[in-house]
Amino acid sequence: MAEISFPLPDLGEGLIEATVLEWLVSPGEQVERNQPLVEVETTKSAVELPSPQAGKVVRIYGGPGDKINVGEPLIVFEVPDNTAGIVGTVPKEEAPKRRVRLSAVFDED
Amino acid sequence: MSNAILESEAAMAGGTPRQGVEQLSMQQALNRALDEVLTENPKAVILGEDCGRLGGVFRITDGLQSKHGENRVFDTPLAESGILGMSVGLAMAGFHPIPEVQFDGFAYPAINQIVCQIARMNYRSRGTLPMPITLRVPSFGGIRAPEHHGESLEALFAHVPGLKVVSPSNPHEAYHLLKYAATRPDPVIFMEPKSRYWQKGDVDVSAADAPGAGSPTGAKVMREGRHLTLIAWGAMVSRCLQVAELAAEDGIDVEVLDLRWLKPIDADALVTSVRKTRRAVVVHEAPLTSGLGAEVAQLITHGCFDTLKAPVERVTGFDVPYPSGDLEDEYIPNIDRILFGMQRVLEYRRG
Repeated sequence: MAEISFPLPDLGEGLIEATVLEWLVSPGEQVERNQPLVEVETTKSAVELPSPQAGKVVRIYGGPGDKINVGEPLIVFEVPDNTAGIVGTVPKEEAPKRRVRLSAVFDED
Repeated sequence: MSNAILESEAAMAGGTPRQGVEQLSMQQALNRALDEVLTENPKAVILGEDCGRLGGVFRITDGLQSKHGENRVFDTPLAESGILGMSVGLAMAGFHPIPEVQFDGFAYPAINQIVCQIARMNYRSRGTLPMPITLRVPSFGGIRAPEHHGESLEALFAHVPGLKVVSPSNPHEAYHLLKYAATRPDPVIFMEPKSRYWQKGDVDVSAADAPGAGSPTGAKVMREGRHLTLIAWGAMVSRCLQVAELAAEDGIDVEVLDLRWLKPIDADALVTSVRKTRRAVVVHEAPLTSGLGAEVAQLITHGCFDTLKAPVERVTGFDVPYPSGDLEDEYIPNIDRILFGMQRVLEYRRG
C-alpha cells in the first residue's frame, strides 16, 4: 500500500489559508472520488472540498476552528501500490467472451 | 482465461520454478531493467515528470532515485518539450538519457524535439553527435483514462527517419527489449502498453545471451498455427492469443506473431509466417487510415502475393479521436471484431 498526501489546494483569488469548519470523513473510512471531505471557510466563503481520488483515509489535519495554509497537508489517503497516482483504472482480467463463431472449408489446401 | 495464469502454470510445471525465471508484472520487469541499465552504464540517466521522488505515476521508476541518486534519476518541470530538449543536450554531452513522457498524449508538445532534433542530429552532424536516447512512452488505451491519456502513436513515430520504435507485449519482452533499447547508440521510442502494466508473467532474468532470453530484435512467434496469422503488437498481442484459443474451438489453427519492432519491421518474419498460413489479419488500436497495419499488409502482400488466399485484413480502431473511457471498449478491437476479420479472410474466394 502507498500513502498519498493531499495538500490544501489554492481555493482561488489568491487566498493563502482556510479554516476547518467540519470534517465530513474520518480516519479509517473508505472514500470515493468527488465525495465531500471537509467544509472549510476562507475570508470569501465556506466551501466543501471534494475528494480528488478514491482511497482509505489515513490521517486528517486540523480540527474545527484550526487554520491550514494553502500547500500544507490536509488529508492522507492509503491506496493499493499498483493504483498509486494513476489516471484511469487498472483493467481487470476477465474470461474472454465471444458471439462470433468461425467457419472455414479448407477444400483446396 | 488470463495469459498470466497460463504463464504461471507453465513456470511451475513439475512443481518447481525454472532457474533464472521470476514472476513479475510488466511494471516490475521494466523497473528491474532500468535499475540494471543504471548500474551497468554510469552515463545513463532517467528524467521526467514524477520519475524521481514519486517513482512515476505507473511506479516504473519506483525506488530508483533513492538507489542511484538525484543526479541520475530526477524530476523535471511539466514541459515535455523541455524533457526531450534536455535529453538532446545530455546526449550531446555523452550521456544516455532515458526520458519518460508520462502519457502518450503528452508526446505531442515534444514532437519538434523528437522529429527535428533527436531523429536527425546524428545525420545532421555526419555522425559526430549520435543520439543514444531511449524515450519511454506509456502508450495505447485500455485503462479508461481521460482525454490525452490514451493514444496510439506508432505510425507517427515509425514514419520519422532516424527513429526506431518498439513495443513489448508481456513482462519478459518488456525486460529484455528495454535493456536492449537502452543500450543502443540510436534513439528508440519505447511504447509501453499501459493496460498490461499490472499483468504478471514469467521473466527469464538470466543474462540477455542466455537461451531463455530470446533474440531482442525482430518479430516473435507467440503461438504457432497453420491456417491464419494474426499480427499484433503491445496490448493487442494478449488479446490475439485469447482469440487464437477461441478459434481453436472452431477448428481454426491460428499463428500469433508479435511484431515487437515497429521500425524497422521484420518483413522476413511476416513473410515466413504468412507463406505457411496463407492468410493474415493485422490488429492494432490506432485508427485505420495510414495506420501501421497498412505497412504490414503491404509487406505481406509483396512477399506472399502468389500464395495469399485473401487480401490482408485489418482490424483496428476507428478514424476518430481516441474516445473517453465509457466508449473505449467500442473503439479498441475486441474479440468479436477480430473474429469477424478472420472470418472475412477465411471465406474469401478468388474470382
